[in-house]
Amino acid sequence: MSTSQHTLETQSARSVRADDASASVLEVNNLRVVFEGDTRTVTAVDGVSFSVKKGRTLAIVGESGSGKSVTSLAVMRLLPEHSARISGSVNFDGRQLLDETKSGMRSLRGNRLAMIFQEPMTSLNPSHTVGDQIEEVILRHRRMSKKEATERAIAMLKLVRIPSPETRYHQYPHNLSGGMRQRVMIAMALACDPELLIADEPTTALDVTIQAQVLELMRELQQKTGTAIVLITHDLGVVAESCDDVIVMYAGQVVEQCSVEELFTFPQHPYTVGLLGSLPRLDEKREQLVAITGTVPDMANPPSGCRFQARCPFRIEKCAEMPELMDVTDGHFSRCWRAPMQDLVP
Amino acid sequence: MTQTSTTPIIEVRGLGKNFVVKRTVFGRPLASVGAVDAVTLKLMPGETLAIVGESGCGKSTLGRLLMRLIKPSAGEVLIDGQDVTNISHSAMREQRRHVQLIFQDPYASLNPRMTIAQTIAEPLMLHNIVPANQRAKRVAELLEMVGLRPETANRYPHEFSGGQRQRVVIARALASEPKAIICDEAVSALDVSIQAQVLNLLKDLQKRLGLAFVFISHDLGVVKHIADRVAVMYLGKVVEMGTADDIFAAPRHPYTRALLSAIPVAAPPSHQRAKAARLHGDLPSPLSPPEGCRLHTRCPYARPECKSVDMKLDVEANGHANTCAFWRELPAQDAAEIAREPRNPKLEKLFAAFEAMAAKAANRPAQTVAGG
Repeated sequence: MSTSQHTLETQSARSVRADDASASVLEVNNLRVVFEGDTRTVTAVDGVSFSVKKGRTLAIVGESGSGKSVTSLAVMRLLPEHSARISGSVNFDGRQLLDETKSGMRSLRGNRLAMIFQEPMTSLNPSHTVGDQIEEVILRHRRMSKKEATERAIAMLKLVRIPSPETRYHQYPHNLSGGMRQRVMIAMALACDPELLIADEPTTALDVTIQAQVLELMRELQQKTGTAIVLITHDLGVVAESCDDVIVMYAGQVVEQCSVEELFTFPQHPYTVGLLGSLPRLDEKREQLVAITGTVPDMANPPSGCRFQARCPFRIEKCAEMPELMDVTDGHFSRCWRAPMQDLVP
Repeated sequence: MTQTSTTPIIEVRGLGKNFVVKRTVFGRPLASVGAVDAVTLKLMPGETLAIVGESGCGKSTLGRLLMRLIKPSAGEVLIDGQDVTNISHSAMREQRRHVQLIFQDPYASLNPRMTIAQTIAEPLMLHNIVPANQRAKRVAELLEMVGLRPETANRYPHEFSGGQRQRVVIARALASEPKAIICDEAVSALDVSIQAQVLNLLKDLQKRLGLAFVFISHDLGVVKHIADRVAVMYLGKVVEMGTADDIFAAPRHPYTRALLSAIPVAAPPSHQRAKAARLHGDLPSPLSPPEGCRLHTRCPYARPECKSVDMKLDVEANGHANTCAFWRELPAQDAAEIAREPRNPKLEKLFAAFEAMAAKAANRPAQTVAGG
């Protein structure tokens, strides 16, 4: 009972903080992450900016090595400090996360900022029961008795639709299936009603029928709580079905930024065109898929000018110069000299 | 038996495989998992048969059984008309030449201490296909065939990207001049743009060399693109089998329907199709699969009879088979919901332009885009 009271309290407190629904929960500006090794320096994220509003889901898509996961780890300040140099600004509800102290970050993480990773088995501690692990988050951030925290943990398990939550509470991660483990991760992430949830490939390790269940659950919970979500994925289908806005990353940079509707209706960057064309689709049979030739550039030594030029069929001489992220049509941004793409179609 | 082109390359009848998971102190089996149960299928020359299903359904075990990498507990395996179920190790080794296997992780399947030339030459030596003095030439040919430059022959696997490594693995599989290749999640670990390159390569090789593929995958988009026939597995059983066109246009079994509708579609939100009924819950433990129809614990259309019904593949004249005894009574509109993604003609033109320009840059004739 006191649990539900508590939830009400935090929610009303939040509505005071963010009464303006259009206010951005997270604003990232010109984020750069440079890894310094002994022999080489890699710029993994190069000037990334985006914002997420309350109750909205932003997708960050890109292939492996595009810098999407490093972006999210930098926002959460989870990168090793001795090797990663981070610059730019990350504004979360008026606080500069890059200037926060370590203990300041610890009180935010799991509380107002939460994160889910791809592999639930490695994110859960195998030697504690799942109930204990959810409870730990609650006790760390809320003034609650042990008994109240237990009630809250069971309520969270019920919320993520785990059957017989009272029994599951006492079980260990190895007793649960992959889909259930990911639900436990979601329960843990949402236990303190965070304002921002970063989900890094949350369904990649799951089977499609379980993925569909988990994505549906995340959508429903977002409608209930108004949590802003950053969903990192390589799966364009997941983007189309569960996100509102999207940024496409290539070689550490944002190459396209728009609403999900626009991205799938008419993309404005050649990389996105190739990516969409290379997807085998269920509704048609092509002899050949559109393939993007070549591979991603070496990030220790990126080409000057547009980073996609070596693989781009639309390249022109001007591509030797680095294009800015430009507004092509009303809020649809593309980092390409040849945008709008309409001009390229006969 | 005379070998004509109508002899299936691989044929299995009533195939089953149990793995013992628990033994007494004296080694007597206590419990076992039926990973594959009563599977009967054929692979004809030049065709692509896809085996799809979720993790734990037995598709990889079936793949290993098909090339007799493991010994079946029941049923028989025929390769090229010859019964190989109980033949000796050395005789089997000879047979392996005809059926090769490609795995998901190309890095784990290549020896890091061998150059790719050594790797590709190994099957040539093993089966004594090419005399020693011509091996280097053959390796160069094979590399060219999979789209790698022959100059790279003396490099080591770590010097290649994931997509290139998978090409090396394909070249090695081709070295023994097989009739069939079993691809176990061969493109699952690759990024989509690279995946498309490898899929195009596999299709191209099939056309040129008349290879047959068994394509084991969980990705139905990929399967739709490459397969001629599809077998859908659930908990060790084939629940539906038919031509790719039939399975994707008019799936019959509730499991196939749920699987198809669960795939997220890369289409604008305003064009998303309505969802067919979802499966509920998780996969039951394969240690004690449900009685009757194995799907009844999760099936949205389950009825009391399903708990006792016999799971038998009901084969029609055109080869479309499924195990759901009540598929004719399933809601019809549900099948229609496996609807098509709407096509945006402007976007198709953009894809065509992308491809035409890419082809021009690579100095090769443009690929025709069907239905563009």
